[in-house]
Amino acid sequence: MDIFLTSRIASDVLGGVTNGVIYGLVALSLVLVWRSTGILNFAQGAMPMMATYVGMIAFGHFFGYWICVVIAILVGFLIGAGTERVLVRPLYGKPEINPVVVMVGFLTVLEAVAAAIWSSTPRSLTTPFSPIDFHLGGKPFALSAFSLYQIVTAIVVMVAVAVLFRFTNLGLQLRASALAPEVSRLLGVRVNRMLTLGWTLSTGVGTITAILVSSNFFTGLTPQVMDGIFAFGFIAAAVGGLDSPVGSIVAGVVIGIILQFVGDYVNSNAIILVALFILIVSLMARPNGVFSVVKARRV
Amino acid sequence: MNRGLSSRRVITTVAAVAAVALSFIVTPSSRDGVALAVLATLTVIGGSVLLSSDLRRAHPVVTRAATSTMAVSVSLVATFFFSSTTNFNLATGAAMAVTLVGLSFLTGVSGQVSLGNGAFMGVGAFAMAIWSNHHSTTPIVVTLLISIVAGALVGLLLGLPATRLRGPYLAGMTLAFAVAFPAILTYFNSWTGGDGGLQLPNAATPPHWLRALYVHGTTSLTSGTLWLTDITLVATGVAFFFMANLFTSRVGRAMRLVRDNEVAAELVGVNLNRARVLAFVVSSSYAALGGALWTFLNNSVTPATYSFALSIVILSVIVIGGIGTIPGALIGGLVYAYSTNVINWITNQTGLNPQGNFASQLNGIIFGGLLIVTMMLAPRGVAGVYYTFRHRRASPGGDVKSPSEETYAEA
Repeated sequence: MDIFLTSRIASDVLGGVTNGVIYGLVALSLVLVWRSTGILNFAQGAMPMMATYVGMIAFGHFFGYWICVVIAILVGFLIGAGTERVLVRPLYGKPEINPVVVMVGFLTVLEAVAAAIWSSTPRSLTTPFSPIDFHLGGKPFALSAFSLYQIVTAIVVMVAVAVLFRFTNLGLQLRASALAPEVSRLLGVRVNRMLTLGWTLSTGVGTITAILVSSNFFTGLTPQVMDGIFAFGFIAAAVGGLDSPVGSIVAGVVIGIILQFVGDYVNSNAIILVALFILIVSLMARPNGVFSVVKARRV
Repeated sequence: MNRGLSSRRVITTVAAVAAVALSFIVTPSSRDGVALAVLATLTVIGGSVLLSSDLRRAHPVVTRAATSTMAVSVSLVATFFFSSTTNFNLATGAAMAVTLVGLSFLTGVSGQVSLGNGAFMGVGAFAMAIWSNHHSTTPIVVTLLISIVAGALVGLLLGLPATRLRGPYLAGMTLAFAVAFPAILTYFNSWTGGDGGLQLPNAATPPHWLRALYVHGTTSLTSGTLWLTDITLVATGVAFFFMANLFTSRVGRAMRLVRDNEVAAELVGVNLNRARVLAFVVSSSYAALGGALWTFLNNSVTPATYSFALSIVILSVIVIGGIGTIPGALIGGLVYAYSTNVINWITNQTGLNPQGNFASQLNGIIFGGLLIVTMMLAPRGVAGVYYTFRHRRASPGGDVKSPSEETYAEA
C-alpha cells in the first residue's frame, strides 16, 4: 500500500485531483451564471481576483488569514451583484456577441486597475497550512496539508451549492427562474432578484477559488493569476456541458488528472496543447457537453 | 450620355498628363519622378471611375478596384513625404487593419466573435519567419501567401468544431487558443526560436524586381525602409479589395442570412456548416496575413508580441471602429497605430509618473473602458454612428433603416 501511494502514478493522480477541483470550481461558477442568465462570463476569473485583492488589503496588518477570507468572499458577493445590476442587465436580449465583448472589456479593466493599484508583482498569502508533502514510510507522497485544504474546501463548496439548489425553497426559485422566467414571474418569483442572486453566488464560488489559487505558495496573487485557470475552467465547463453542474465538476477533475500525467510524462508546455485538443475533440463529438441532458436543438 | 463619357475621357487624360508633368517637376531625381507619375496617374484614373455614377452602378467590382487603387496610390504618394516614424506607424496600422477586417467579416456574417485573432496573427508571423529562414530566396509575395495558407490551416482545425457550436462556445474556444499560444510556441521552440523569436535572414534588402525597376538601386524608394511600408500598403489594398467583394458576394449574402435567420438560410439551400467554417477560415487567414506583414516590417518576430493581451486589443479597436463593417477596420487600424502616442500624450498632460504603475496600466484601462462603453451605447462603433447619422439626414422624419443593411452594401 505504501509503495503504491508513493508511486509516480498515485502522485500524479493526487496532484491531478488537487488541480482538478480548482478547474471544477471555476467551471461550476461559469455554469451558475450560464444557467441563470445565458451568458458566458469572461470576467469570471477577474472579478474574484479583484475581490481577493480587496479582501487581502488587511492581510498581514491587523487581521489573520480567515477574517480576510471572509471579507474577500463578502466583497466577491458585492462585485457579483453589482456587475449583474449595472453591466449585465442592459444586455439581456441583445445579440450574443454583446455580452461577450462587454465582459472581455470588464476583464481588461479589472486586471489593469488591480495592476495599477497593487502592481503586477506576486503577493504571497501565507496560509496556516504547509505546502510540504506528507511522508509515508520515509518517502514523500503528493499530498500536503495545503492540497488537502484545497480539496476539502472545494468539496464543501460543491456540496453547499448542491444542497442550496436541490433542497431549499430559494434553490427551487433559482432553478425555476432560469428554466421558465415568465411562468415563475406569474407564480410570484422575483425573477430579477434571482438573476442577481445567480451572479452573486457564482462570484462567491469564484472568490473562494481565487483565494485557493493565490494562497498557493508557488503562484501567489497577481492580477493575471486567473487567466490560465479560467481557460482550463472554461474547457472543463465546455466538455462537461455548460448547463450541467455535476458534469462540469467531473470534467474538471478528470481533465486535471489527465493534464497532470501529460505534464509529468511529456512536457509542461504540452499541457495546454493537450487541453485544447481535448476541447476540440469533445466539442466535435458532443457539442453540448459530455454530460449534457439537453437534446440537440432541431430546426 | 455618350458625349459626357468622351468629355470625361478628355478631362481624365489632361489631368493624368498634368499629374505626370507635376511629378517630374516636384521630385529631385527622374527615377523618383517615374514612381510618383505612375501613382498619380493611377489616382487620376481611379478618381474618374469613381466620379462616373453610370460606371459605379453597372460595375461594382470595377468601382471597388478603383477605390482600392486610389486609396493605395494616394497613401503611397504620401509615404514619400512622411517621416520614417510616421510611415512605420501607418504600415503597422495597415497590417492591423487587415487583421481587423477579417474579424469584422467573421462577426458581420456569422454574428460570432473570435478572441484568438492575436494568436492567428502569431501563426502568420511565425510561418513567415520560419519559411524565410529555410528558403530565403522565396519571393516575398509567395512567402506572404504561404503564411496565409498556414493561418487558414490552423483556422480550419479550430473551425471544424465551430460547425456544431452555438452561443459563445466559439469565443471561449478561441480564448483558450490565445491563452495557449505562448506555450505552443515554446513547445515547438526548435522551430520558433524560443523566447528570443526569429530574425529574417535577408534583413531590409528589397527584392530583385523592386531594385530592377531602378538601375542603380539607390533612389529613396529602395534605400531605407520606405519600400517596406509601401509593400505593406499595397498588400493591405489587395486584401481590402478582396474583402469588399466577399462582403457583397453571393457567399457573403448567404452568410448574413445564416446570421439573421438560420431556418430561412437552410430552406434556400445554404450549407450552414460550410458557411460557418468558411467565415472562420477567412478571418484567421486575414489575421495571419496581418501578422506576416508585421514580421516583414520589423524584420523579426518575438513570441511576447502575440500574447493574449494582443487579442483583446484587436477586439477593442475593431469594436471602437465598428465591428461588422469594412470602414470600421480602417478606423480601428488608425486607432491602433496612434494609440501609443495618444496614451503617452495623456500621461504627459496629466502629469502622471510615466514609469509608475498607473501610467503603465492606462492602456488596459482605456481600451477596456472604451470596449464596454462602445458596446453599451453604440454597438456598431464609429462607422455605425456615421451610417445612422447619414440615414437620419437622408430621410428626415422617415423610417430610419437599420444601419447594418447599409453598412454591408456600402462596403
